[in-house]
Amino acid sequence: MRTVALLGAGISGFLGFATIASADESEHGLEAPNYPWPHSGILSSYDHASIRRGHQVYQQVCASCHSMSLISFRDLVGVAYTEEETKTMAAEIEVVDGPNDEGEMFTRPGKLSDRFPQPYANEAAARFANGGAYPPDLSLITKARHNGQNYVFALLTGYHDPPAGVTIREGLHYNPYFPGGAIAMPKMLIDGALEYEDGTPATEAQMGKDVVTFLSWAAEPEMEERKLMGFKWIFLLSLALLQAAYYRRLRWSVLKSRRLVLDVVN
Amino acid sequence: MADEEPVDQKKYLEEGCKPKCVKQLRAYEACVKRIEGDESGHKHCTGQYFDYWACIDKCCTDSILEIEIIEGQCCVTLASCGAVLS
Repeated sequence: MRTVALLGAGISGFLGFATIASADESEHGLEAPNYPWPHSGILSSYDHASIRRGHQVYQQVCASCHSMSLISFRDLVGVAYTEEETKTMAAEIEVVDGPNDEGEMFTRPGKLSDRFPQPYANEAAARFANGGAYPPDLSLITKARHNGQNYVFALLTGYHDPPAGVTIREGLHYNPYFPGGAIAMPKMLIDGALEYEDGTPATEAQMGKDVVTFLSWAAEPEMEERKLMGFKWIFLLSLALLQAAYYRRLRWSVLKSRRLVLDVVN
Repeated sequence: MADEEPVDQKKYLEEGCKPKCVKQLRAYEACVKRIEGDESGHKHCTGQYFDYWACIDKCCTDSILEIEIIEGQCCVTLASCGAVLS
């Protein structure tokens, strides 16, 4: 009698979940393919011309909504721009500084030591301006998403019409790579949207590649030094391993080549 | 490279890959037909859609690698050679 009651309770509890929406493939998004990034190899560096173009894409297309609050202007010096170019670029923005001797905050032109400007004062303002969705900070985005570089490129260039049977509400857009499929950001990379300084044709794929290279650098500026250091130390430690192995075997050879004789006491 | 309208490299590769993914495309179209009269709003073809785009994506990345190996440089050779991904 009690077991029947328990079984009944269990089944009704289980059936209580029956009306919850089921998940499907769109839950995790379409998996991004593995693109052959030029900086992927064990000793490959970034394409710095691409970083420079990517910064231009970020400034003109993305910076109106996405902050990169961990990057300073000085980080660009020697990577994508010369010091003079960066100083000129920084001076174009206004920064709040202070307090001055009178205790008031004042605005001044930007310097190399300033961080990239924020499009919104805070997260609430960002959400309010974007229909409740927060455009994430892009400083670490390629490390903050699974398979980050491939994911961001696929996302930016992968806006397609939704499949049959899928409707996206007003204000959202369909993107198969985005978990759930409905992303607040519209397609931003359009052919010819901007004119590159160096004259490269600005196609969607070109801008996507450049901006992802820029974002990869922003998330991992130390990558080139890390690869050089890694290669050097793995090589040296391999030599040290061989030396240590030889020396261990040399010292142990005495013990390993000894003979033990068991004799019977008569 | 005096080109009026540079062709988007990715679109070009995707067009080239469509013949390789006909099976998935047919499966998707069959699904669309199946759910045509559906009123409930629960039926959708996301699975077949994903299969198709996964096939296109895989073919594109294979093409990029093939192009790099064959050409020795990153150049998609259209008749007008306007699509160079620098």
